Amino acid sequence: MTTRKLPLEVSAGRSRLLEVDGLVMRYDTEAGEVSAVENVTFSLGRGEAMGLVGESGCGKTSVALSLLRLAPDNARYQSGSILWEGVDLLELSDQKMREYRWAEISMVFQGAMNAWNPVYRVGEQIREAMDQHFDPPLNKSEKDQRVDSLFQLVGLDPALQTRYPHELSGGMRQRAVIAMALSCEPKLIIADEPTTALDVIVQAQILEELKEIQEDLGLSILYISHDMAVIAQVTETIGVMYAGKLVEFGSTREVFHRPRHPYSYLLLSSIPSVTGPRRRPVSLEGTPPNLLAPPAGCRFHPRCPWATEQCRTEEPPMMEIGPSQWAACWNSEQVPEMGEQLP
Amino acid sequence: MTNIPPETRTEDPMVSEEISRDVDSWWKIRLALTRRSFRDNWKIFRRNKIGVLGLVIIAFWGIMAVMPTIFFATGFWSPAVYDPVTGLELDPPTRTMTMVERITDPNTEIDQRAVLLDGRIPDTLRVGDTFELPLQPAPPDGRHWLGTDPLGRDILSQLMHGARASFFLGILAAVVTVVIATTIGSMAAYFGGIVDAALMRLADLLIMIPGVAILIVIGAVFTFQLWHLAVVIGILSGFGGTAIVLKSQALAVKVKPFIDAARVAGGSARHIIFYHLIPNVMPLSVLYMMFTVTAAIQSEAILSFLGILNTDTSWGLMMNLARTQGYLLQVADFWWLTIPPGLAVTVLSAAFFLVGRGMDEIVNPRLRRR
Amino acid sequence: MIRYVTRRLIQMVFLFLVFLTVTWFLLYILPGDSVALKYAGNPNIPPQAREVAMERLGLDKPVLIQFRDYMFNFFQGDLGVSFNQYPRPVVDIIAERLPRTLVLFLAALVTYYWAGFVAGKYLAWRRGNRGEMLITVSGVGLYSMFLPFFALMLIWLFSVQLGLLPLSKFLDPEQWRDAPFMANQVFMRLFWVTLAGGIAMFGASFFALRTRSRRLERGLKWGGFVLAAVWILFYWWGTESGQAMRVYAGDIGFHMILPVLTLTLIAFAGVMLLTRSSMLETLREDYILTARAKGLPEGMVRDRHAARTALLPVVTSLVLAVATVIDGGVITEAVFSWPGMGEILISSVLSEDIPVAVGAFSFIGIMALVGHFVVDVLYGLLDPRIRVTEHG
Repeated sequence: MTTRKLPLEVSAGRSRLLEVDGLVMRYDTEAGEVSAVENVTFSLGRGEAMGLVGESGCGKTSVALSLLRLAPDNARYQSGSILWEGVDLLELSDQKMREYRWAEISMVFQGAMNAWNPVYRVGEQIREAMDQHFDPPLNKSEKDQRVDSLFQLVGLDPALQTRYPHELSGGMRQRAVIAMALSCEPKLIIADEPTTALDVIVQAQILEELKEIQEDLGLSILYISHDMAVIAQVTETIGVMYAGKLVEFGSTREVFHRPRHPYSYLLLSSIPSVTGPRRRPVSLEGTPPNLLAPPAGCRFHPRCPWATEQCRTEEPPMMEIGPSQWAACWNSEQVPEMGEQLP
Repeated sequence: MTNIPPETRTEDPMVSEEISRDVDSWWKIRLALTRRSFRDNWKIFRRNKIGVLGLVIIAFWGIMAVMPTIFFATGFWSPAVYDPVTGLELDPPTRTMTMVERITDPNTEIDQRAVLLDGRIPDTLRVGDTFELPLQPAPPDGRHWLGTDPLGRDILSQLMHGARASFFLGILAAVVTVVIATTIGSMAAYFGGIVDAALMRLADLLIMIPGVAILIVIGAVFTFQLWHLAVVIGILSGFGGTAIVLKSQALAVKVKPFIDAARVAGGSARHIIFYHLIPNVMPLSVLYMMFTVTAAIQSEAILSFLGILNTDTSWGLMMNLARTQGYLLQVADFWWLTIPPGLAVTVLSAAFFLVGRGMDEIVNPRLRRR
Repeated sequence: MIRYVTRRLIQMVFLFLVFLTVTWFLLYILPGDSVALKYAGNPNIPPQAREVAMERLGLDKPVLIQFRDYMFNFFQGDLGVSFNQYPRPVVDIIAERLPRTLVLFLAALVTYYWAGFVAGKYLAWRRGNRGEMLITVSGVGLYSMFLPFFALMLIWLFSVQLGLLPLSKFLDPEQWRDAPFMANQVFMRLFWVTLAGGIAMFGASFFALRTRSRRLERGLKWGGFVLAAVWILFYWWGTESGQAMRVYAGDIGFHMILPVLTLTLIAFAGVMLLTRSSMLETLREDYILTARAKGLPEGMVRDRHAARTALLPVVTSLVLAVATVIDGGVITEAVFSWPGMGEILISSVLSEDIPVAVGAFSFIGIMALVGHFVVDVLYGLLDPRIRVTEHG
């Protein structure tokens, strides 16, 4: 285990599971180089639930896929490292990486409908993963038992494992995906928009169950979502990404109640609050920048109401704001408290 | 480039509904919209190298098809020599042959038996005499760039006229196909029920039965002209596979809100089918036209190759002549008899297919590269 | 599944009846120089003789009666008598030729689908979008190749230049002069022996598709192949009748290589392009990402997840391929003078032997319909979604 101290760590006291340090990833495209992940640094402790939020295309899914080394073929890792219990995943051989997948880190993909291959039974697809990762291999009855108990764990009738994916409802499929993600006893589950395609009630149920399972099994979960409200319910730590960069990081409570980066502030303000202080939802003007040619300085400056000359030229580093909060903004003290109106 | 689905690109339903009573201005607007969508689509098409390659090949053959008219009109070619059917090279190149006892080199020597077999050889020839044998088929030379066939006719002229026949046939077949298929497909989609079921079962049947076999049998009982063949191919394809594809497209259009709007506004079935469904199915129809052209060119070539088609100039017929005259297997010695028409059929039908594939990207925005 | 199969079967029977009806009306009823005229329309026939002919052929009866008689006779197996090989019944000719054509088509269909699928699979897997232009253009070029021209080039290359393969025909008459067997007898033996081997191989690879263990899958595939090979070798070298017929069977097989190769090469490109684009589409699906994330070996992701799902549209395309391969087969047979259904269809059409032409066409139709039915059932077996929707 490494002893290097990362600047960003909320989970003090817990043993560190994952450290992403200065990760830079670009996509080679016909039009040029797309800067998808730019100098992202964070760490995740054992049993911790963390969230990554941002608009679509901000690089959060690229970060998630990088953890499994599943980014598309045209992805290039320029620098940085992804340390998993001290081992750099980017340095592993393909064979070794394959052993890490699912057994150490598993993933619940965006839109569970498409995570199932339509031509195989659900149970078969779960067993397929188990066949790869247990040493010594599980025998048939062990596997059956395991699938049965996984289904019960996620609140599904074990009889459903002989169904084909299209025979299950959206909620059932999502639960089965979670069962599949748990099948090889991973230490970390990446949940990429785990509930986006579901209706609100099922969404809440599934998030609740995921949280319970996470606490019971002592799992770490990395939630990825564009929806801050979803993330806030289930995580302890939150990272806000904008245009490939991590712009704010900290404990969920701090970030949610006192965002220090204008982008987090505007993202949060765009959600009308029912319980909090009364305020008018603020809309976020403009669109995310073209990552083929990202703006100089702070990448958020073209949309930022508080942008100064410094923001246009100098890139702000992550700065410690409080005991468990960091933000990459030159003018973080300008960002108003939640509930205040914009100047 | 934004991914606008074809139906919104081809027309603005609100506008057209508003003014559809005034047919005159309706067409003006439609024309303007068509021109605009054509321009947009051309931009997309141009980026697709495959489609452009197809178009270049088609253009090449298009020029080939026009050339004989120019050549005849300018007097560059005299019809007596270069007409694809009745032309005859009266002064073909010759080769010096020697009469011998036993042939050792068949290219320069003949024996007494040849005199009996070949009427062109005078029977006064004795061993040791030489004789100028007229060559027909003759290899390419300055007068006949691609040589002549066994009947002394110019190959290049036949090839050019064959291109003309192929274009005529292919385009006529495609137009017939598309007219039938859009009408059938739109009607099946609009009315549904028994009309749909009957038309679609017929289409199923036509898909299943091998088309060339049908054409051969029809050729057995009717005397086929080129345009008959085009119409039959058009009917088979129009009631068959193309109708099914266009019907599913029409079904997708049918559920669009502007169709409901037209119906609420009191549009008749005829009006909705012809003014709303068909125009929106059109882009896909054009795509299928390309595939019909490919099929038609191939079918024609095969029927004439087999000698079933009653036509006087066609690429298939050129190969048929080589076949019936026994030159088919002497590819190395008489390549100009088989390779030009064989390649022509292949290349032109492939070109239409390539254009179709290129157009696929316009019709299915999903395929477009971002 | 049973319901699905029954439904398709009923549909096929119905379609076949429609097909027969349409064929009959097309050929016998339409005005102009239709079949009736071909039979008795020759202006040189004296009027009395024509009347006799009309009566004998039943052409003087009302249309519907004629139609009834035709259908009745068809299902009794009476398709009339050939003009050219008088008085040989048409059914007899077809019975001789149908198995040959079936063998040609099946051999070509299986080879080209298999080869096209495998090639498409690897192209999609290895290259992604690179080389798109080259692959598409050469694929389309091969696919649109004018079949007689292409066959000619192959004959010229393999038979004329290299002298490796026979020019044409079904067998070598020189070799068969003193043969103790009839050609068809040997051919049918060849057919059954190969079919048995083929079924073993196909069955094994079908089960291989359904197993989960990659080892077992590979084992089954190779096991089936080896079993079929051993069976075929054993039959022709190990049994007495096999040894006696071996040379003749070999001759027939030898003559089949070039026609099968021609058909395969032409049709292969279409399957390859289709598999490639279907597979490229499948590779973008989330379940491929899931399969990778599960840590499955790449080969397993490719074969079990991507190719297995990409197979579905390819099997659907078989529906169209049945008609295409029959068309191709008809032409190939004509070019190679290979005496199958296609060759008899064309030669009877050219020599105006109408009963044979109509009989051959009807059976080509039956072949197409049966082919369809088999493809439908196969699709049902491969795609679980179909089976369920059919349950209602």
